[in-house]
Amino acid sequence: MAKNHTRYIFSMGELKRKDNSIAFSNEKGNFYIPIEDTRELYCLNEVSFNTKFLDFISRAGITLHLFNYHGNYSGTFYPKDALISGDLTIKQAYAYMQSRHEVAKNIVLAISKNIYETVYHYYRHDKKELKPYLDWLKSDVPKFLQKDISIEQIMFIEGQVWSRFYDSFKHFLPEDFVMNKRVKRPPDNPINALVSFGNTLLYTKTISQIYNTHLNQSISFLHSPREGRFSLSLDLSEAFKPIVVFKTIFDLVGRKQLQVTKHFDKSLNYALLNEEGKKIFIDAFETRINETFMHPRLKRKVSYKHCIKLDGYKLIKHILEDREFTPFSLKEKM
Amino acid sequence: MITGTLINYYFHCQTQCWLHANRLNLEENSEDVRIGKVLHEIKEEKSKQTEIKIDNIKIDRITKDYLIEFKKSDSDPEAVKWQVLLYLHKLRQKGVERLGKVEYHEKNHNTKTEIIELNDENEKELLAVLENIQKLIDSPIPPLPKLENKCKKCAYYEYCFI
Repeated sequence: MAKNHTRYIFSMGELKRKDNSIAFSNEKGNFYIPIEDTRELYCLNEVSFNTKFLDFISRAGITLHLFNYHGNYSGTFYPKDALISGDLTIKQAYAYMQSRHEVAKNIVLAISKNIYETVYHYYRHDKKELKPYLDWLKSDVPKFLQKDISIEQIMFIEGQVWSRFYDSFKHFLPEDFVMNKRVKRPPDNPINALVSFGNTLLYTKTISQIYNTHLNQSISFLHSPREGRFSLSLDLSEAFKPIVVFKTIFDLVGRKQLQVTKHFDKSLNYALLNEEGKKIFIDAFETRINETFMHPRLKRKVSYKHCIKLDGYKLIKHILEDREFTPFSLKEKM
Repeated sequence: MITGTLINYYFHCQTQCWLHANRLNLEENSEDVRIGKVLHEIKEEKSKQTEIKIDNIKIDRITKDYLIEFKKSDSDPEAVKWQVLLYLHKLRQKGVERLGKVEYHEKNHNTKTEIIELNDENEKELLAVLENIQKLIDSPIPPLPKLENKCKKCAYYEYCFI
């Protein structure tokens, strides 16, 4: 399961420092996690640990993401040596005052373009009913976004892009996965459960990537910085949702690797992935986010995960050098 | 106050110099920089004398005759020369006269050394350089990077060319 420096812990147990390794122990015994090739640790169940352990992973620069039993995100433990730049934070706040609308519009445009690419695949495979939505994404959305509109209007367009996207599932997903309505906390059906779990995973991945830059996690552009969360992570993850989260869902559901009766918790009306389901999902999610391709501008191989950090760099360039911020595009691969 | 790292970067690459001076230090992820840091630590362990901090400069080692700077490779001797001249100049201001010595610790234990002397001529030049660096780092935006071979292994490559 471990790929590219990320480790997931699914069962209950204890994490501790054992010499210079991380040891996970439960009634089944001790498991060792080599510290040198770990960058992120995900705890998806009840896990206990002490400050000696936290100090150890902090020195190794590992971020620890914690989830409760229901798969809800609880928080992240950060190493102390963060790349903090007061100077950049001041300029980031200034950019928020000066160009919030411009950045927010570009994020919504990127969501819409990346959804277009994702949905177009099904249109090409004979799902002609998708045509009106595709046309709307291609011509109407950019037109709306060109107008001089308020942040509320920008967010309204974003809402429309997503809700019409969810509505389009009925044309290409099996019936038991069709979404009638996006419900978040708690999700009320299998597809909502997948979307929530996937979005949360992507959100934590983005937190780890932003952590490797000097950006301030709380000053965001599309989402309100008032949300009291790491709202910049919500902003930067948006463009990657269609690519990473939804493509993973569509593949797993389309190939019947995830099934309602087998991989969801029946006692909760199938509104929660069971452990087996989480494992399948995370495995596919990790494969997807670590998929590499040639970056046309940098001329080197990058993964989607790495591109989240590169979007962070683009945002820094906007903040420092007033360069336009254009989030990752699936079509242009940069 | 201009540090040894900054004057080194100024000769190596002005974009890097600006970014570093403006607290955008991206080296954390660079393997080369990590090797450089480890090399410093190992050298420190061997010699009982540890790194010395004077004002805002860090001197690797100082002996009766020499101020010694350790480097991983001799890829940019010009930049190292100015870094050492800055240190010698700072020491002179404290009334300490030394010769500079750079030790390049390359793979296979090949150690090359180079002696650098601070004289009136290069001291004058140094002061002019320091003034130019101050002007550069005070400008509101970084200079545009030019793609060169050395860029490919720089920690700032992705930031510069994205």
